[in-house]
Amino acid sequence: MTEVSIEKLTKDYGQGPAVNSISIRIAEGEFISLLGPSGCGKTTTLKMIAGFEDATAGAIRFDGRDVVAVPVEKRDIGMVFQNYALFPHMTVEKNLAFGLEMRKTPKDEIRIRIAKVLDMVQLTGYSERYPRQLSGGQQQRVALARALVIEPKILLLDEPLANLDAKLREEMRVFIRDLQRRVGITTVYVTHDQAEAMTMSDRVVVMFGGRIAQIGTPSDIYERPANLEVAEFVGQVNIIRGKVGNRVVSTAFGDVPVSGDFADGAELMLALRPEAVELLPINSGAMGAQAKVLSSYYSGSLVDYRLELAGGVVVNVQTFPRTRFADGEQVLVHAPADRFWPLGSAA
Amino acid sequence: MSKPFFTVYCLIIYAFLLAPIAVVVIASFNAGAFLTFPPQGLSFRWYLVFFNNEVFMRAIRTSLWIAAMTTVISGIIGTMAAMFYVTHAGRLKETVRVAMLAPLLLPEVLTAISLLFFVYSVGLGTQNLVGMIVGHVLITLPFVFINVSASMESYDPAWSLAAQSLGAGRFTRFRRIMLPLIKPGVIGGCLFAFIISFDVFTISFMLKGVGMSTLPIQLFDYLRTNFTPEAAAVSTCSIVLTMAVVIISEKVLGLRIHRF
Ligand SMILES: Nc1ncnc2c1ncn2[C@@H]1O[C@H](COP(=O)(O)OP(=O)(O)OP(=O)(O)O)[C@@H](O)[C@H]1O
Ligand SMILES: [Mg+2]
Repeated sequence: MTEVSIEKLTKDYGQGPAVNSISIRIAEGEFISLLGPSGCGKTTTLKMIAGFEDATAGAIRFDGRDVVAVPVEKRDIGMVFQNYALFPHMTVEKNLAFGLEMRKTPKDEIRIRIAKVLDMVQLTGYSERYPRQLSGGQQQRVALARALVIEPKILLLDEPLANLDAKLREEMRVFIRDLQRRVGITTVYVTHDQAEAMTMSDRVVVMFGGRIAQIGTPSDIYERPANLEVAEFVGQVNIIRGKVGNRVVSTAFGDVPVSGDFADGAELMLALRPEAVELLPINSGAMGAQAKVLSSYYSGSLVDYRLELAGGVVVNVQTFPRTRFADGEQVLVHAPADRFWPLGSAA
Repeated sequence: MSKPFFTVYCLIIYAFLLAPIAVVVIASFNAGAFLTFPPQGLSFRWYLVFFNNEVFMRAIRTSLWIAAMTTVISGIIGTMAAMFYVTHAGRLKETVRVAMLAPLLLPEVLTAISLLFFVYSVGLGTQNLVGMIVGHVLITLPFVFINVSASMESYDPAWSLAAQSLGAGRFTRFRRIMLPLIKPGVIGGCLFAFIISFDVFTISFMLKGVGMSTLPIQLFDYLRTNFTPEAAAVSTCSIVLTMAVVIISEKVLGLRIHRF
């Protein structure tokens, strides 16, 4: 197992930095996702770790050893490409054997290791097939097996699920995550799908415009976003504004206590996730602010409401459809104080 | 077009293309002394004459040798050029393409004369086959280039990257991944090179040394003074030879396109 450390890594293609001085320490066996919108430099970062791109500046270390000067073929990485890049003229078995042959592994051992890895990706019996004779999901698993069978130091995946349909994508998420846990390999996973990053990763690196906006566990990123951009990128969020006074922010929800150093009188933005809000009937006698239902969208397991609070503040709320409220109905809304997360002063 | 009409149409075109060849082949079995059609009786007489004609035999050997050398050199240079063109040419892509196809666009006579000046001005002369082979490589190169770059277009660069990530160096990536996948284009291009080189007249005529001759030149020379069925026998043999090369390389090397 390998610890990877990236220090002040920068890549400039000539039109300003595509990756701008990023630093990440990836622990042994950790699953890290690079998450961000298109063009934020995820692939570029991954290519530099793999060695396909030279870094303009900065260092990449595997277990403390600087690998910047090591060519791809000597870096001992396992890579899974978005379109799988299986060799079309080779059977599954030959595809899997290729990396081992490059390492001059004895024939008997190659056979044993291929059998083992095929079992791992649940494709025993498929070794004589050509890639074109496999479904997208099966090809995906062969690509994964091909990267893992060489027992590389680190596994790199660039949007490996982007070409699969929604249902298969969810299955593969769980599959890859389980496999990674079992093998215990240090993994860097690139995606622009926040749900994918959240469900699979130990930690998520959120990137914007070549810079790291936040590194943290999925719950850190979701519940304690570093700034407005991150908050909005990972899921839906309501931005509630209010004035600070006496360690309390007065908002449409009432007074919300905040920890942290905020000057009295400052205008503050608070992030509030839609599912953190509770809806109650107006006559329930509970605590809460009054609101009017503007509209609702029913999606089976959940209902999304748009509500208007006092002062014209509109919030989105997501609840289980236990009690339904009609459009135009008056309701009580309530959110626990610890679900309001300060994003800093409103400009 | 309706189907029967289309069938007839195709048959007519084939007949138009193949009839002259058939005439030559049939005429080569003529038992008489003159090149006539229909033949007067059938015999292998003129084949024997041909096989015992040392001048023709030498010309065939020369032609085969030149074609083989041309195929190898053109195959290697053309494939390398196509690889560069598809993967690395960048902004120069169009320029590279036009430059590579230029020998097709220029009249062969012009190319031949320029080459003649060239081989003398660099002191090569025409006493060995070098100048001749350079000329043949020049005019066959576009065919290798077109065929290989066509098959390179369906080559996904990610295959090379994947091989590299699995530990394959530059040469292994080419030999085990790229070459097998562009093989149909390479073989097709090389076949073209061989056949064209075997057949070319103008360039060979200009660049041949004194007393040297390729099969087309020898045949032309022969027909100026003789009109026996031997010429038909020579032609037939040259057709069979070319076809044999195509069929054998297809069987041995496999021209089948990989289906993905
Ligand atoms: N070979 C290249 N030459 C020049 N600029 C490049 C090159 N590759 C990427 N870039 C630029 O670098 C930036 C980052 O690109 P990158 O491919 O890393 O984005 P990404 O985060 O992977 O996006 P996506 O989600 O669309 O794949 C982009 O602005 C892109 O235009
Ligand atoms: Mg990308």
